[in-house]
Amino acid sequence: MCTVSERIKNLKELLFKNKREISLERARLYTESYKNTEGQPAILRRAKATAHILNNVQIVINDGELIAGGRTVKPRSGIASPEMSPYWIYDELDTLATRPQDQFYISEEDKEFFRNELFPFWKDKSLKDLVNSRLPNNVKNAQKQRIIKLNQTDKGQGHIIPSFDKVLNKGLGYMIDEVKEKMKKNPNNNFYKAALITLEATQNHIERYGKLARDMALNEKNQNRKKELLEISRISYKISKYKPDTFYEALQLFWYINIALQYESNASSISPGRFDQYMYPFYKKDIENGLDIEFAKELLRCLWLKMNDVVLLRSQESAKYFAGFPTGYTIILGGLDRNGRDAVNELSYLILDTYGDIKLPQPNLGVRINEKTPREFLIKTIETIRLGTGIPQVFNDEVIIPAYLNRGVSLEDARDYAVVGCVELSIPGKTYGLHDIALFNLLKVMEVTLKESNGNFNSYNELINAIKKNINKYVKDMIEGSNVVDQAHREFAPTPLLSCFVENALKTGMDITSGGAKYNFSGVQGIGVANLSDSLYIIKKAVFEDKEITLPELVKILNNNYKDNEIIRQKFINKYPKYGNDIDDVDYCGSEILSHYCKEVEKYKNIRGGFFQPGSYTVSAHIPLGEAVGATPDGRLSGEQLADGGLSPMVGMDKNGPTAVLKSVSKIDTYLISNGSLLNVKFNPSVLEGIEGIRKFIGFLQSFMRLKLQHIQFNIVSAETLRDAQKHPEKYKNLVVRVAGYSAIFIELNKSIQDDIINRTEHIL
Amino acid sequence: MMKKAIIFNIQRYSIHDGGGIRTLIFFKGCPLRCPWCSNPESQSFKPEIIRRESLCIKCSSSSCFACTNTPEQCPTGAIEKVGKEMDVNEVLKEIKKDIIFYDSTGGGVTLSGGEPLSQGEFAIELLEKLKNLGIDTAIETTGFSKWEILDKMSNHLDRILFDLKIMNKEKSIKIINADIDLIKDNFKKLVKKRINIIPRIPLIPKYTMDDENIEAIINFILSQGIKEVHILPYHQYGISKYKSLGKKYILKSLIPPSSEDVERIKEKMTDAGLYVVVGGK
Repeated sequence: MCTVSERIKNLKELLFKNKREISLERARLYTESYKNTEGQPAILRRAKATAHILNNVQIVINDGELIAGGRTVKPRSGIASPEMSPYWIYDELDTLATRPQDQFYISEEDKEFFRNELFPFWKDKSLKDLVNSRLPNNVKNAQKQRIIKLNQTDKGQGHIIPSFDKVLNKGLGYMIDEVKEKMKKNPNNNFYKAALITLEATQNHIERYGKLARDMALNEKNQNRKKELLEISRISYKISKYKPDTFYEALQLFWYINIALQYESNASSISPGRFDQYMYPFYKKDIENGLDIEFAKELLRCLWLKMNDVVLLRSQESAKYFAGFPTGYTIILGGLDRNGRDAVNELSYLILDTYGDIKLPQPNLGVRINEKTPREFLIKTIETIRLGTGIPQVFNDEVIIPAYLNRGVSLEDARDYAVVGCVELSIPGKTYGLHDIALFNLLKVMEVTLKESNGNFNSYNELINAIKKNINKYVKDMIEGSNVVDQAHREFAPTPLLSCFVENALKTGMDITSGGAKYNFSGVQGIGVANLSDSLYIIKKAVFEDKEITLPELVKILNNNYKDNEIIRQKFINKYPKYGNDIDDVDYCGSEILSHYCKEVEKYKNIRGGFFQPGSYTVSAHIPLGEAVGATPDGRLSGEQLADGGLSPMVGMDKNGPTAVLKSVSKIDTYLISNGSLLNVKFNPSVLEGIEGIRKFIGFLQSFMRLKLQHIQFNIVSAETLRDAQKHPEKYKNLVVRVAGYSAIFIELNKSIQDDIINRTEHIL
Repeated sequence: MMKKAIIFNIQRYSIHDGGGIRTLIFFKGCPLRCPWCSNPESQSFKPEIIRRESLCIKCSSSSCFACTNTPEQCPTGAIEKVGKEMDVNEVLKEIKKDIIFYDSTGGGVTLSGGEPLSQGEFAIELLEKLKNLGIDTAIETTGFSKWEILDKMSNHLDRILFDLKIMNKEKSIKIINADIDLIKDNFKKLVKKRINIIPRIPLIPKYTMDDENIEAIINFILSQGIKEVHILPYHQYGISKYKSLGKKYILKSLIPPSSEDVERIKEKMTDAGLYVVVGGK
């Protein structure tokens, strides 16, 4: 393992030294600008507000930094965008610092400023107000019943991969000239005007760093640091106009663009995409010219730390769905290139290496694998997974590329796919995908269907058909609602700066919110396939085949949350096979419903001329989505969580090991869930031990690939988990541990041996 | 009529018993009675009831062991019937589910037990079908059976993990109920057939670890031209299973060998020219 430099150690410490705060600077500047632009078109107001921020926001270069650019002066501060919704912050001002998840400190002074200045200005004028005034009642009802959940109703649009490729190879100055050229021919096009305002402000923002670095250098006593600051200054001035020529310059421009985009949208997941691809030419040229590889690595580490500096402030409710403020600097490595060749390069390895030196939540690394992936790269991937942070996650080209072809994407673009946010699939630099516009709770639809008729169905098929009919009905509501949100963003919150980095927008003269992107999807997630499989199978078997109970009786028991029926509940949990164990009869129950949902969703068009596409992942939303669903036939009590991830089996129900889990998931038509899916698999660290462990793991990943699963990520079971398993054995029935020359079920071992294993596990980690 | 066997577990994703990702088929019933046996549920040829207090919710009784529920009635699975009669196709169906993993990891199927040789005809038919499907096959065995069965079975086996426990004839019969001469004889015949065979030695203090026994094992292995041996140090992890079966574990106070003890024997074997694997991966 590499020893991390003093520089990195200090910068890492700086990130976590103070408690997280909220900075209202962006909100103040944005609002200031808005007061001066009353009556102008929305896109110009947005552009001017963004420019006002970029021109005036306080900037800082921290001691030791090689990559400059920060969203806030204090590290890891949240920033607010009251224009999207002033309400939740207003309501939560006094609890932000103490809420259960993602706390942020806010000063009394700032609270007053928010209450007296920001809130009164934005009240009744925010995006949220616009959305609410337009949502029809049927959509509101579906939301209220918590069958659907619309997102981005109170925050900026993120979940996009800008075309870094273009700005790195052409430079900002070129892009500005391009816009000016367009303006000559289209003098009345407001998008071009807005694009120019924001691009020039970005340029100015970067120059401000150039000046700051120079000023700091003048006063710097340490000669080494002085040199570094002068270099930052030189680079900043250069890349504010010209294209970068070196790896260092390219990294710096990449980061400045990221920061500028953050000011515009304050949105989750403006993701880097295929960083190892577009950065490689710069890296390669530098190395050939004698750049010290250690310096290249140090630059990367500095950049990774920067990515942890940007945290997203969410409402208490939103933090439940996305706990731990994921900001989604999602980088995807390897895979195929546009010509179908293996795309792994030295930089792909270097990124995994330097990540291992940092081991923080960002960048959220992923690896694309396919039949051509080099063995060495697979091994490097596994070695990084073995570090135990759950990074990198793994994506499967063999299914994702065909899935995109099925969505009308060209072969070259499909091969170029990347990942945005968590697991959302996207064609980088070409897509405005609204990947997270809504969630659809399939399990809740089952519950509603059962209750509507009190369980009066004559056959299993009759029930399934009723569920499908209800899915159709609520999908329609979800589409309507999603399109309302989409339209509201277009009218109220266009993103001219972001649009400059999306293919076709500059060509067509349309903001991406108006359909300026090459690909225009809306992604909607169908949730609950595991609990559906388990529940429907019990209905099929216990009610209609074995006639152990009638459906109306069962519905009554569910309505009473299994009260006085614990024995029946235990039977449902323990005596019927469950999803995740590779049993066709069970697995197909849920996959049939999910496929139906997908087929229904893909019929609909959005307002930008693109189509809706389904996905199936929850991130951490399986907890709040579970809160919305009453007791279910799988033995789940009212309000209990759903299965995690999206496609994972229900907690503790997969008893036949990970191969059976992969097989169960493979019965889902993964080609249809082209917006993305998520599978969590837990491993004891011993599984990955030594060269033999790696060898078996390679095979495991290859099988994952051949089974055409889209995504997998690994939890390496910690001692903490094992201790919890001692306290709550009923929750860990499937936890297999390595004991000596054999493996055993953890809870069946006695305490002293369990302790022994716990201690050993800590050694391994 | 399809042959049937009594199977007590089919364990998928076994990664520590032979190469690659494997499925283990556990045959129920064993002619031996090793006091250190860590799978007591494998001994009887009949289905048995096990009771796991840790899963019991006390719905019908204050203790799982006093409960009169049948396994079918028990809602949590705390009371469970171990051992199920299965035909070859049923077992095959489970095995085939993981073919994709065998292929990508160099894995396959390992017959274990109990003693698969005791249900030899079934095992032979199963193995033959596996070989026809191109699946790698292995067996963990005591080697204690009529030669004819082992002979036929070995035609369909890629690897035999062959236990050698107590080499003294009287002690072997007295302690584990096995005729070591028959076992040695079978071993030699397999070697003569050029079957890939790996001896496995359980290291049980007071039973198999004395110098005399270890030397006898080394000499026997070397005399057969075998170069690799696996040693399996004694552990007590099976104790809880004795309890759940209502059986008594007579070695309760036996202390597992120290790592020095294991190292000493490993060295001895290595010095004699053997390649030694501890644990038997």
